[in-house]
Parts: sequence; structure tokens; C-alpha cells
Amino acid sequence: MALPPILVLGTFIGFPIGLAFLFSIGFTGGLNEVLSIIGQDVRGRDGKLFTLQAYKDVIADPRFAGDVKTTLIVSFVATVFVLLFSTGIGLLQRLRGGKLSSVLTALSLTPLFIPVVISSWALYTFYGSAGLYRTIFHSFGIDVPQITSTMLAVIIGSIWVSLPFATLMITSGLQSVPNALIEAAQDAGASLITIIRTVMLPLALIPIIIALTFTSIGILGSFTVPFFLGANQPTMFGVEITNFFSVYNRPQQSIVMAFIVFAAASGIAFFYIWANFRNAKESGRV
Amino acid sequence: MANQSGEGLELVGLRKILGGRVIIDDLNLVVNKGEMVSLLGPSGCGKTTTLRMIAGFLIPESGKVFLAGKDVTEIGPEKRPSAMVFQNYALWPHMTVFKNVAYPLKVRKMSKSEIEKRVHDVLEMVNLMHHKDSRPAQISGGEQQRVALARALVQEPDILLLDEPLSNLDAKLRVKVREDIRELQRRLGITTVIVTHDQDEALSISDRIAVMNEGRIEQFSTPQELYDAPQTEYVANFIGSLNRVTGSFENGAISAGSDVIGIRPEDVFFSKNQIPGSVAATVTLVVPRGHFYEVYLKRNDAELRAFVSSEVPKAGDAGFANITKALIYRDGKLVRTA
Amino acid sequence: MAKDVQPLNLYTKSVGVKVLLSLFSGFMLLLIVGPLLWLAIHAFATEWLFPSYKPKGWTLDWFRKVFEVPTLVDAMKTSLIISPIVVLLSAVICLPAAYASARYNYWGRKSFLIIMFASNAFPKIGLFATIATLYYFLNLMGTLVGVIIIQVLGTIIFMTWIPAAAFAAVPKSLEEAARDAGAGKFRVFRTITLKMAMPGILVAMVMSFIYAFDEAQGTFLIGAPTIYTMPTAMYAIVETYPIQVTAVFSILLTIPSVLLIGLARKHIIGGQLAEGFQIK
Repeated sequence: MALPPILVLGTFIGFPIGLAFLFSIGFTGGLNEVLSIIGQDVRGRDGKLFTLQAYKDVIADPRFAGDVKTTLIVSFVATVFVLLFSTGIGLLQRLRGGKLSSVLTALSLTPLFIPVVISSWALYTFYGSAGLYRTIFHSFGIDVPQITSTMLAVIIGSIWVSLPFATLMITSGLQSVPNALIEAAQDAGASLITIIRTVMLPLALIPIIIALTFTSIGILGSFTVPFFLGANQPTMFGVEITNFFSVYNRPQQSIVMAFIVFAAASGIAFFYIWANFRNAKESGRV
Repeated sequence: MANQSGEGLELVGLRKILGGRVIIDDLNLVVNKGEMVSLLGPSGCGKTTTLRMIAGFLIPESGKVFLAGKDVTEIGPEKRPSAMVFQNYALWPHMTVFKNVAYPLKVRKMSKSEIEKRVHDVLEMVNLMHHKDSRPAQISGGEQQRVALARALVQEPDILLLDEPLSNLDAKLRVKVREDIRELQRRLGITTVIVTHDQDEALSISDRIAVMNEGRIEQFSTPQELYDAPQTEYVANFIGSLNRVTGSFENGAISAGSDVIGIRPEDVFFSKNQIPGSVAATVTLVVPRGHFYEVYLKRNDAELRAFVSSEVPKAGDAGFANITKALIYRDGKLVRTA
Repeated sequence: MAKDVQPLNLYTKSVGVKVLLSLFSGFMLLLIVGPLLWLAIHAFATEWLFPSYKPKGWTLDWFRKVFEVPTLVDAMKTSLIISPIVVLLSAVICLPAAYASARYNYWGRKSFLIIMFASNAFPKIGLFATIATLYYFLNLMGTLVGVIIIQVLGTIIFMTWIPAAAFAAVPKSLEEAARDAGAGKFRVFRTITLKMAMPGILVAMVMSFIYAFDEAQGTFLIGAPTIYTMPTAMYAIVETYPIQVTAVFSILLTIPSVLLIGLARKHIIGGQLAEGFQIK
């Protein structure tokens, strides 16, 4: 019964990715032929079966260094802030409860209701040249530049979009820490900070790691947010992959970049799987 | 406020409201140093709430808590000289047995070698050295219980609090563990308050028992006193088994009246021969109870149960039953024993 | 005993903390609701010039205008037709697998869930680029079927993980008790297992619908220029129409998500979603 989804994924994800990988190392025949004829700068057309030239092209491209830097900085900073916010809100909800924390939770879940295209566009208008952000400063007599088309806007947008999932994960993880385990630490003489550090966060570690991996992988490959909010150059890989594919018509380089992002995402994914297995081991399920 | 308990525990006029309901009202209790006291009562009587106020997890609406001569009413649990063993042990699943026990010392910023030594000693004491690197999920319920105890004892608390510590163990283990706890408590001379709903448990390990009912202490005395002279009808009913008859008790016979007469089944004797004070009776039912039999008797003034261990009669036997001791209550209070 | 509802005696009651928290809440309010409100108000504005806090005048005219643009109306229709198909298709493909994985042995289940996860780790945009090769070959470029497949791919992770956790949470003993009571295998599944797992399945369907309804990258790459859904139409109109039109369109595009999440809110916040993402 597990076959249908695996078949679908195999046909429409596994197979194309395999094909694309072959394409990226210079296999231009078979199903790859159409792309290699349409596309520009395709390496391996000379009949060589294996070449890393396309990878070298991408790395040598002057845009590459800037894109790497932008992608890494945005992913890292946004993920850190998402985790800080969602953990903070989760802790507040768990330890204090009350109206304020409910309001905060509701707020951080709001983006879940909003399609990413809309939120990106809304953020664009808000932080753009005629947006409320500049209007507020203007009424104090300060003329600030617009934030849109900068890395800061992409970071704000990424946080905005990623917050609900992380909050759901972490809040639910912290909620499931039993009162008695917290009180036992309190009884043992631990302060609030110590309890959070040594009992609550370790017990919610798995949900936190899940939030971490999904958030960072999501941001790493994101397109819509940097497309609307980022600068044209340098930009994040999600945008650059699209540019290379449809604007510059260099499909091979576009695919090479996809594999670079995939490699990074796999590293993070490995962390997630490791954490899950360690957890299973601890609770005696293996 | 005067504190007569010296180094033990004193609760003065505690009152606690939870969810709009008065859970505890004007509760007073003095526990002497080195004494083991049970809070006994049915669920919902407020015994756990009381314990949690002693530990500091709950702050009373009014009243005071004195621990070891100090007013700790407003102090959080992390600063109180008490240590608690939780009902489900509350061991941290992500730490080994050793780390669980070392935790209280670690947060006190003790030196590593000192922690090592004290944890070893206490694990030795509860016989768990061989499990020091196991995780809580890997050891049995009884062992988890001992880890929880070790984690409390390692703090060398002025007062040890146990919240239904045996309720998650099977019957056989329960008896053994309660004896272990009592033995350890005596040896260390540590002031201990234990919450339980199990009268056997309370009667067998406590120096004194506080029977609780609807947020008040009905009676606070030694197990023997509690059994022999329960001060209220509620206590008499709750502790041990009781024949409860309404009437007036005079010279071993019951006549019409409005008193409540409580008679322990072991104070009812059945025999074929008439003796002074006995009344004609027939046996209606005999139920084996292991090491004794419960005999249902029908006298012309009342129906009574008797516990019999030798010369067991059969259903239908006719003879005489006499009552050697009765507790007489008026408005729920003990007025005399006869 | 009501032990668990007793609050923790942990937090500080100090005024400073309260002020700090209120400030933080205000900051979050501005950060999150600010942009949405700002855009939404534009839908009712005749004209709005920097640096004014409010528009020159109010109007509902933009709503009429949106429905006068045939491409936008077409996009709305396409979206409303495609998304339910995607959800149903995904459910048919994935729910049996989710059930099976919930009842499999440990390693079988793990590897299955990890394959799902790995397929999610490849950047979507890269995947859509690679998939083009196959689509050219299968003649799916610019077709409705092609767009539906692209959207189904993204929903698979929701449709397997969340129901799998929900199925796994149904105790086997309950199924056995029903069998014991004389119910047939299928009846047990329908009346016990499926019923108890329903909240999880509902959440999975809602999440899938929202994903399908919002999916823009793949749909744009595969569908444009013949097929436009609401989000891909959005890409096009932000450059050609006044901001008020985009604001109206944004509001329309948000309605289904809000309605659906509102419907399943209890279960989503109740942990069904979070539960689904832990490999157990």
C-alpha cells in the first residue's frame, strides 16, 4: 500500500532528479537532448560522457560568491530569529499562559493563513518607498530609505513566512513537557533559567530540531520571498536558479545550482534524521 | 508567630482556593523533627494540595508555612529546604540515573568531586550503583522510585515530602518499598510527610497520621489512637472496618435511639454459649478473607459483621453474639467508648 | 486529582517583565499584522499617496474592476477547480500508504517516512527546473494535468505524515475490541480507525488544499503562459495593475485559506500538525 506515493515521487521527483544529475555532469543525450539543444552554454555536448565543467562554470561565475553569501546569511539569520521568537513564545505559553501569550501565539500563527505570494507582496508594499514603514518615520521628520530590494527585507520576509510552522512545532513540544518534570527541577533548587536550559529545552529538543531543519531548508530554497523583496544582484539561489533557467536560458547551470542547494539541504536533513533516531533510542523504541 | 515545632514543620491557618473552590480551609499541623507523618484521605480531600503548599508549588491565600523554624510561606520551592518525591517520580528522561541524582547538587554549584562522592553514597544507599548509567526508561518502576528517592535524599533536606510514592507499584513491591522507606527514614532521622490514600500504608509506616476530609484535618494522632479511638465518625469509617448502627448502646445491647454506634468487627464475638451481655444471633453468611473469615450475624437488635479466625461457624448456625467495645458518636463526634 | 490543571509557581510577577512582554507583543503585532492591514486597506482606497496615513477617498469600485478582467476571473476558476482535485488525488494516493506505514514495523515505517522527507529536501525550484525535461518528453508542459501533478507532489508530505501519525495514535486494542465485538475488517477500519484518525486527515487535507491553492513556482513554470491560477496571476498583475487591484485580489486569494484553517484550527493548534512531523 505504500507503493502509490513512492511511485509518484519516484516518477516525478526521483527520476527527473537523477536525469538532471546526469545532465549536470555532461550527459546530454536521451531525455536530456531537448534541453541541451534549447539551452545555452551546455557542457558535454562535445560527446564527453563525464565533465564537471558546468559546476566549474557556476563556481567561476562572478555572481556565485555573492549568491552564496546572500543565501547563507539570509538562511542563517532568519532561522536564528525564527527559532528565538518561536521558542520564546512557546516558553511563555508553557510557563505563564494567560491572555498575552495566547495573543502572541495567535499572531505568530497568522502567516499560516496567508499565501506566500500575498505576504511577500504585502511586505513589499509595507516596506517599499510608499509604505507605512517610511510613512511612520516621515511623520517624525526622518527620511529613511526603503528596505525593499535589500537583504534585510528578505530576512524579514523569511521570518514572517517561517514563523507559524516553527511556533506550532516548538509550542507543542514544550506543552508536552509534564508539569512534574519542571517542578522536580524547581524542587531541586534550579532557577527559572536553569530549568529552561537543563530540562525544558532538552525535552523539547526534537521538535526544536524539526523546526530548525524545516525552517532552514525552506528558506534555503525559497523563491517567492527573495523574488519580491530582494535585490536583483546578488540574490538567493532560489531566484538565481529561476533566472538561469528561464531568463538566461542556461538550464545546465541552473540545475547545477539546484544540486548545490540540495547538498546543503541534505546536510541539514541528515541532522534531522539523526536527532529523530537518537530520540527513538533514548525512549527505548529501537 | 510562635513556632513550637523547633526544627520540624508547622502549618498555621492555611487556606487555599483553586478554581474558585476552597480546597483547604484553616489547616493547622505541627510535625516534630525526625517524625514521619502521613496525610491520609480520599482523593480530593486536599492532601496533595497541602503537600504542594509545603513544597512551595502553591502559595496559600492565607496562613503560614514554617520549615525548620523559618517562615517560608513566600519562598519558592527552589529555595526551600524541602525535597519532594513525585507521584510518577518525575525523573528526567534525557538524563542518566547518575545525572538525575546529581542535578540538585549541580544547580547548587557543588564541586565535581563532591557531587561524585555524594551521589555515589546515596546510590549505594538505595542499592542502585549498578544502574547509574542507565536511563529512567530502561529500569523498572521500583528502581525508578528509588532513583526519585535518592534524588530527594541527596539534597540532605530538612524535610522530605512524598506524594503517593507507592501508588504506581504492584502490591508486593509496595509492601517492601514502604518498609525500605521507613527504615531509611528512621536511620537518617529525617522529618517526613507522606501523602497517601492507602490506610494500610499510613498505619504501618507513620509515627502519626493526619486524616483529612474536605480540606480539614479530622484527627491527628498515632496509628493506634486513630484506630482505637477515632474522634469522629468520618475517621472511624475511613480507618479499618466498622459496623455502623443507629440506636442507643447499653450493656452490650442496642435499643432505639439517635446515636451512631460504631463497632469494629473484631470486637464482635460469636459463640454457641450464652455469656453475660451476649444476645441471641444467627449466622447468615460466611465469607473467607484469607487468614480470617468475615461472619455476617443477625441479632434481634442489629445486623453485625464479625472477624473470626478460629472455630468458624457455618451459615445457619444459631448461638449468641456479644460486643466487647463500641464507639458512640453524637453529631459525628465521639462522645464515649463502651 | 486535578493536579495537572494546577498552575506552575514559576514565573515572575514583576511589572518590568509585563511591560517588556507588552512591548514585544506590540512589536509582533506591527511586524505581522501591519503589512497585511496596510495592503488590505488599499483595496478600498481611491488613491493613496506617500506620506499620508490615509487614502484620499474610499471606494468599492476595485472589487468590480477585478471581476471585469477576464484573465483574473479565469485564474480564479482554474484555482477553484484544480485545488480540490489535487487534494482528492493526493488523498487517494497517500492515505492507504499512511495507514500501512502506521501499522508497519519500525524500520519499514522509518525508511518510508525518510524517503518522503528526502524528496522534500530538494529545493522546490530546482525540482521544477529538472522536471521540465520529463514534462517535455511526456508532453505535459502547459497542460492542466501537468499542473495538477506538480501540485500533488508538494502535498504528498502532508498527506502521508500527518495521517500516518494520526493512524498510529489509534490504539490497536480498540481495533481488536471492535473485531471481538463482531465487526468485519472493513467495518472496523471505517467506524473505528478512520473515525479516530479523522482530525489528522482533516488537517492534512486542509494543509494540502492551502499548499495547492498557494503553489506558484511550479505552476508558473509548467502552466504559463497557457494556464494561470490565482497565485501565478498575481505574479503577472503586480507589474501591470495598480496596487488597489492587487490588494483586492490578495483578499480574494486569502479567503479560502482563512475559511479552511478556521475550520480545522482546533486540530492544527491541538498538535495534529506537529505530531505528524515527528518520526515515531
